[in-house]
Amino acid sequence: MKAPRDPAALARVGGLLLATVVLWPLAVIGEFRPWVLFEAQNLRVMGGFLGGFLPPASGGEFLAYLGQATIETLAMASAGIALAFVVAVPLAVATTQALSISRLGPGPGRRRGELLRAGLRILLVVLRGIPELVWALLFVRVLGLGPAAGVLALGLTYGGMLAKVYAEILESGDQRPARALLEAGGSRLQALCYGLLPGVAQELTSYTVYRWECAVRASVVMGFVGAGGLGQLMDQSMKMLNGGEAASILLTFLALVLAADALSAFFRRQLGEAGTAGHAAALGPLPLAILASLGGAVLASFAWLDLGLGALLSRAAAASIADFFASFWPLDLSAGWLWKVGQGALETLAISVLGTLLATVCALLLALPASGRHGALLEQATRFVLNALRSVPELVWATLMALAAGLGPFAGILALALHTSGVLGRLFAEALQNAPATPRDALLEAGTPAGVAFLYGSLPTVTPQLLAYALYRWEMNIRMAAILGFVGAGGLGQLLYVELSLFHQAQASTVIAAMLLLSVAVDAASASLRRRLG
Amino acid sequence: MIRLRDVSLTHADGFVALRGLTLAAQPGEQIAIVGPSGAGKTSLLRLLGAAMRPTTGQLDVLDADPWSLSTADLRRLRARIGVAHQAPPLPARQRVVTAVLAGRLGRWPWWKSVASLAYPLDIAGAAAALAQLDLGERIFDRCDRLSGGQLQRVGVARVLYQQAQLLLADEPVSALDPALAQQTVRVLTADAAARGATLVASLHAVDLALACFPRVVGIRDGRIAFDRPAAKVDRALLRRLYASEGGQLPGLAEVPPAASAQRLLRPAVGGEAARADSCWR
Repeated sequence: MKAPRDPAALARVGGLLLATVVLWPLAVIGEFRPWVLFEAQNLRVMGGFLGGFLPPASGGEFLAYLGQATIETLAMASAGIALAFVVAVPLAVATTQALSISRLGPGPGRRRGELLRAGLRILLVVLRGIPELVWALLFVRVLGLGPAAGVLALGLTYGGMLAKVYAEILESGDQRPARALLEAGGSRLQALCYGLLPGVAQELTSYTVYRWECAVRASVVMGFVGAGGLGQLMDQSMKMLNGGEAASILLTFLALVLAADALSAFFRRQLGEAGTAGHAAALGPLPLAILASLGGAVLASFAWLDLGLGALLSRAAAASIADFFASFWPLDLSAGWLWKVGQGALETLAISVLGTLLATVCALLLALPASGRHGALLEQATRFVLNALRSVPELVWATLMALAAGLGPFAGILALALHTSGVLGRLFAEALQNAPATPRDALLEAGTPAGVAFLYGSLPTVTPQLLAYALYRWEMNIRMAAILGFVGAGGLGQLLYVELSLFHQAQASTVIAAMLLLSVAVDAASASLRRRLG
Repeated sequence: MIRLRDVSLTHADGFVALRGLTLAAQPGEQIAIVGPSGAGKTSLLRLLGAAMRPTTGQLDVLDADPWSLSTADLRRLRARIGVAHQAPPLPARQRVVTAVLAGRLGRWPWWKSVASLAYPLDIAGAAAALAQLDLGERIFDRCDRLSGGQLQRVGVARVLYQQAQLLLADEPVSALDPALAQQTVRVLTADAAARGATLVASLHAVDLALACFPRVVGIRDGRIAFDRPAAKVDRALLRRLYASEGGQLPGLAEVPPAASAQRLLRPAVGGEAARADSCWR
């Protein structure tokens, strides 16, 4: 009997060819040249810098600065989230389908309501499609150096994110109670409070706390564009190549990110467990205490930062802000500039794709020991490495990699790869731990070597999940790749930074539009790839 | 070949699965293991497969004590043992051809194992194994497209492809209809006989065990209740074995009650007549 051919072989070869055809030019554009890491000059710079890491700076004056910057970072995140909440709630209530009165019937004003909702949704896309660091860069030009720009930037970007997710959460629950209230002549707010919130309040709170955790990470780097906090300190230390200070700041990052992780997980667990039975009040004592302390923390943050946002409300200030943003219009769409922006966009795409790809491979290699396959000691050690990798923000990695590999897109690729390896490694390890063990064990019991048993027994089961994680991460990384240029790691960010410092607002707005388009396109591509995985 | 002497097994949770069990098998022998659920059939097979270590007693598999071997030698020993599982441990998204070829991973060098993931390196071998079980046309399907019964037969095909010297089967046909169950067991016994391999299979269906295996071992409460040629297994013996299940003898599910009852009601079940119409070659 003649053996049949594998019918999937042609598709595999085709896929491999396609991947090569796509990745090769991207590698050229991204200047993917790993060997530059080992060039004598780069080794010397990096070696000298790393050599200065020990001992970490611990002078009294520096530590005082460090403490102040840490508090400023936390305050910026908390104030930013509070602002985002204020922005998000009305937008979410206005855009969610679950609270649409004109949909009943359908009633009068349905067309108008839909148009309004569509318009607001586009606004949300713009708010969260432009990275917070770009907003911060813009606000620094208006408000001057300091945390105010960072808080406003967080408020807008996270406001857009929160509004979108709030609206989705409201639509995901049981909509009938709210509908019944609306049909009984209730107002939107009444329907929200009596019909929707009881079902979804916990999920909404949990998501908000999670976003605060993200805001802490975002605040850490705000200083790189002059918006205060730890980033500013890091920027200075890096520029002076002061390894000892950099080491102390990096350790602070690690502590801060891990503490934010733990605190957020604790809050969300408490909120999940808190029952309201037996209390006349809507909340039990513990969640009430948590909420009260959160409110206190937000107030304290605003007080500490002393933002002077009130001044923004004066007529003159408002006029100058309006003038500044008006100067971004119209976009520069001349052919020469578009060509340049197109090149920048390709470079950004290359950074995001190669960085994510590299990270996926590294994360898989790190996830094997981190999932406890090679003993508890190795598991703890790898988990520490993963935490360290992800606690250092991409932008900080980019400044470090610019030393190791020189300025340019390759530093951006390495920066994304390092941070994303930490994030994905943790997720991959969890996925591996949750995967059914029997197929692998059966192979081991048939004398298969451990590595091969993993390839045949575990990998097929977890692959779709791992790829989905990697694709999600790619969506975040395209936004990150767009701003790595602020510290010289190529792409659209570098273009934007230069144009803004030259006060070329029209050119800058073309770059921002390109960032927006790129992130929307990558979202769509990733979503369609994920669907095909299923 | 196989020798267990006074072997006991206590699970981590304190459950005593096997108590002082003694059993031996010659090369090429074919043994069916029957007994009520919880009697220790699976535990016995896991001991024989060197997947579990006996708590006390002496165990020799393929003329070696697995637990005195070095890691590498234990791996080589395990590669010579093939196990067909009741619920085949196959990844849902793996293709049938890969799942079958995985049977020889214990003997393939690592580069061949990796290369075979890109393009299956022995399609002919996998196809031959699957063809014996009427699954030839499903070779390039994904395992999650298969029914439970088809999946069980893929598991059997993997063992056939492995060409092990000791074949262990843990209720390998529990999801199959009577005709297919019999055909599948016949494929297993024929393969073992052709290569002179030893076959030990636990079977839920007593009639299938009696019809297809020359030697039947009854297990109850972790002890051997009887160990004799199939022809010498009678109804009273089986009744006592399954007393905890109300004395009902489990048979192939869809066999007409009359026929199966009649066979089991005869004083000496099996015999040449029964074998002629089923498994006896």
